[in-house]
Amino acid sequence: MVAPLYTTDSGLLFHAGKILVLTIGLPARGKTHVSRSLERYLRWMGVKTQVVSLGDYRRKTLGGAQKLPADYFHLGEKSPETIALRKKVSDGCEQQIWDFFKTGQVVIYDANNGTRAARQKLAERFHNKGIHVILLESVCDNKEIIEANIRSVKISSPDYRGWDPDKAVEDYYTRIRDHEEYYDPVEEKDWPYIRIINVGEKIMVNNIKGYLQSRIVFFLMNIHNRPRTIYFARSGQSLIEHSYKADSDLSPAGWEYAERLKDFVIERRAKNLAQRGLGTGDQRLVIWTSTRRRAHHTAWPFLQAAASVSSSNLATPSATPGHATPISVIPHHGLDGGKLLPPTLASSLSIPTPLIHTSTSTPTPNNLNIKVIEKPQMSEINPGIWDGLTPDQARKYYPQDWERFVKDPYSFRAPRAESYHDLSVRIEPLLIELEREKEDLLIIGHASVIRCLLAYLIGLPASEIPAIEIARGDLLEVVPASYGVHCKAFHFWDGPGRRVDESLAGSGGSGVTGEGVIGEGGGIAEGVNGVGIGIGEQKDPNNFYENYAEDTKGKRTNAVTREPEASIGALGVV
Amino acid sequence: MSDAGALHSDAASRGIAEDLARASDALENMQASGELAPVVTVAPASPNVPPALFGAGGPMLKRFDESTVASRKGSNAPSPPPSVKGIGKKVAKPDYSEQKIVVAMVGLPARGKSYLSNKLMIYLRWLEYDVKVFNVGQLRRTKARQKAQKLGVKENHTAEFFSHSNAQATQSRDKLAEESLEMLIQWLKEGGNVGIHDATNSTKDRRAKIEARLAKEKGMTLIFLESFCDDPATIAANVELKVSQGDPDYKDMSPDEARKDFLRRISEYEKVYETITEPHLSYLRIKNVGEEVTMSRINGYLSSRIAFYLMNLHIRPRNIFFSRHGESQYNVEGKIGGDSLLSSRGMQYAKALPALITDNIGEKPLTVWTSTLKRTIQTAQYLPYTKLTWKSLDELDAGVCDGMTYEEIEQAYPDDYANRDEDKFNYRYRGGESYRDVVVRLEPVIMELERQENILIIGHQAILRCLYAYFHHLPQTDLPYIKIPLHTVIKLTPKAYGCDEERYTLPINAVDTHRPKPKTAKQPLTHSTTQRQYFVEEEIKPLA
Repeated sequence: MVAPLYTTDSGLLFHAGKILVLTIGLPARGKTHVSRSLERYLRWMGVKTQVVSLGDYRRKTLGGAQKLPADYFHLGEKSPETIALRKKVSDGCEQQIWDFFKTGQVVIYDANNGTRAARQKLAERFHNKGIHVILLESVCDNKEIIEANIRSVKISSPDYRGWDPDKAVEDYYTRIRDHEEYYDPVEEKDWPYIRIINVGEKIMVNNIKGYLQSRIVFFLMNIHNRPRTIYFARSGQSLIEHSYKADSDLSPAGWEYAERLKDFVIERRAKNLAQRGLGTGDQRLVIWTSTRRRAHHTAWPFLQAAASVSSSNLATPSATPGHATPISVIPHHGLDGGKLLPPTLASSLSIPTPLIHTSTSTPTPNNLNIKVIEKPQMSEINPGIWDGLTPDQARKYYPQDWERFVKDPYSFRAPRAESYHDLSVRIEPLLIELEREKEDLLIIGHASVIRCLLAYLIGLPASEIPAIEIARGDLLEVVPASYGVHCKAFHFWDGPGRRVDESLAGSGGSGVTGEGVIGEGGGIAEGVNGVGIGIGEQKDPNNFYENYAEDTKGKRTNAVTREPEASIGALGVV
Repeated sequence: MSDAGALHSDAASRGIAEDLARASDALENMQASGELAPVVTVAPASPNVPPALFGAGGPMLKRFDESTVASRKGSNAPSPPPSVKGIGKKVAKPDYSEQKIVVAMVGLPARGKSYLSNKLMIYLRWLEYDVKVFNVGQLRRTKARQKAQKLGVKENHTAEFFSHSNAQATQSRDKLAEESLEMLIQWLKEGGNVGIHDATNSTKDRRAKIEARLAKEKGMTLIFLESFCDDPATIAANVELKVSQGDPDYKDMSPDEARKDFLRRISEYEKVYETITEPHLSYLRIKNVGEEVTMSRINGYLSSRIAFYLMNLHIRPRNIFFSRHGESQYNVEGKIGGDSLLSSRGMQYAKALPALITDNIGEKPLTVWTSTLKRTIQTAQYLPYTKLTWKSLDELDAGVCDGMTYEEIEQAYPDDYANRDEDKFNYRYRGGESYRDVVVRLEPVIMELERQENILIIGHQAILRCLYAYFHHLPQTDLPYIKIPLHTVIKLTPKAYGCDEERYTLPINAVDTHRPKPKTAKQPLTHSTTQRQYFVEEEIKPLA
């Protein structure tokens, strides 16, 4: 069972003791990706975890690469000054590790640790103080992964600020070559070790003991860094929005929303794939929904579209009428027009292929490869005895419980209800599956579930989960990157069940939301405040979880940044 | 809105929302003035608690469902799967058809291979994967028996047969192993998920052959699972088990002779045994179950789950106790679900429980797990042990039927009621759970139970049925009918090939909440022993 379940007297979890994970590997082997992912996961489990990054520390104390002596990255003979500098950096890092262990449980030391003698000494120092040391080697023999890593991460580091990209790449390769000469792969059978090959492609484990360690391995077995996109959207409005039990179907507006979502996702995804030189048929889109009707019925139009596209691709023209079922088509709005076309309620026999806004022709087989999976763990947060009540009613009938809920909405559990904490524990198995999924993923979920998943991906503290606003009509696009995730929100729909953003709707302008990088340097991009959302007449007054999220706006920065950005164009704003 | 269609549907849904708000207000007023008369009379638990508006027994649900059909017409959407109606429905099993894994065992005789393969099979079957063990020894005996019947020739299966210097026997054993693998592959192709090749596979050469054979099959993953054991006591115990429990190979020998022959057989294998180190293979090496695990090249979701599960096993002696909460007020009233307190008899049980447990377990440490519901916490209140509450141990959520009696459900929704009886495991209450959903939610609990030592779970009927089915390896169809009576402690002692069970019923009366499987269905087998069952020879039919 995943932690936050209980804590021990020492405040540490699982009675596992303290653990130091030493990363080992040549530069650009994905050590940072692995370290950060592991840190995020362990923190989610409630384990006090910290990455100590040698590179970050060196840049902080000494500055970028251009400020370093020429022999800094050469492991051969060095001038005494350089040796002193290097020692200063590694001692400083070590001190940080010791400091963190005063209260923390796991430190991941993100450094090359390439020579056996050096890491042996380091490991022994901690081992002698009763800290379990695990060697975590990241091996990568796939040139493409290395090159991609250098281009996407390394040359954008402060070390190469102002460099010509190609020159920076060249310099970085020199740095790697110097390391290679002195690099000892992990073969130390006397230490527990984990060797990860090509970021999760293969994994070897030696002498791993205990639950927390085996959880770490289980997690590492499931991560990868292949490019993919995770989309999140709320399920459509249902007939009884505020009842968990009634499990009601979508309302007419909900059905319309589902259609619009389908169009928008297909369009958006085609654009993203085209940027990578792919067509929509080249990568499968996996859709997860809960087992609730409102969620998996929201995915229904996707299945319809996939069936109709494939039948129109396969069928000969004469056969078509017999095959396809009549489908009403919801308007497609061009990406460049910024204006919604009138609805065509034609009983067309197939859905037109999505418009792709690219000037170049895309190598696109347009068949949609879609799989929908219902996950029982994705049911929305159970409101228990508050089911079906409005916030006013809940306050009236259960004043004491209500007060406690408002005070601590993350851990408070109303009678028979789930707290957000319970929900987090429930969806933990999904996190592993989410990490593992290699295809594009669309998660059509309830706001509470999306909050928890997003908080995990972004690395938000648990206490902030209940306040994350997930607006119906926004598509969240999350792209895992080395230091965290890139997160964008696209507003594609307005209607019942969504609060109208008056400032945007009033101006009739762009409701488009922007892009922000989340998790860079371990936090939320600073200084970006969420768009203030006015109280619209279409607010659903009945759902207190949503009300809570909306009413707390302004108390904190928004999880997903939304700044207007012209280049995306106006989408679906009415 | 420039979109006429949207405007229309928008107005419709706003209309519905307003209707709902009005209905809700009206109900509130009615309740306040005491004139609320639900379809089925459900007495409110306390005057200050609002009615369950959308419960199956409440006044709203049926009326609402009727209006749903009409509202659909206002939508432009194509028709989705069946409309919302009633109080639940059967749910199909998830699609596991893409999972195809061959687990090839590696290890000397009496090193616990069968223990591991058995555990793995039970775990995966509990999660509804289709798993089958292909035991080469069994195939060998079956074939020998057929040969004996047909030709009257009796093969020699003493240690000599297992000597690697006996060329003819070696060839014959290789052939058997290959044939067994072919059967396994065939079975996977026919829809199986995990085939366990239970043989010694003790040489690099043999493993290379298996690898080469599976390279020809698309979509099948091969994992070797080595059980390595250097603990003399464990080996000796395994040898005794083999000799004393009627291994058919030794049925005509005295135990002494059998032991001697078996030890010779082991030493024949030892001569050629090569522990698994091949760096290109994907394997798990488990040393003295629970002591040390080496893992290489394990990837894929199910494979990593298998690995994680095996990493958490241990064989230290321990007990697992199950008890339902004491009789609750809802039990007395015949209602399902709810969060009621214990009845007075239930309280008697809670008071009597500590003596029973402490007498049984003595000085050994014990941890008590309860659900978050009042009746289990109350039942555990006098126990002098560490207590943890688990949300995952809460009773199966009966959704809209929560708080009703079975009679009320039958009266209000006769069709649905019959439906659930037909296939209880797959039936999901509307707004609630099915037994399958509960199994999914209990999976982390099982993982934690495997890691722990002495545990007492104060749980609920459906929850304990699921856990009990795991430990006794009972099929899903029987699972919802397992008898877990009130005021009874079930003590499980995990043994090599199953669990020993004792039941202690306290002499405090309680209502019987067990509803037998309707009609002619056979009652499940709920007793089990440590009898090792892998000598049963019914299933394997050798290829012609």
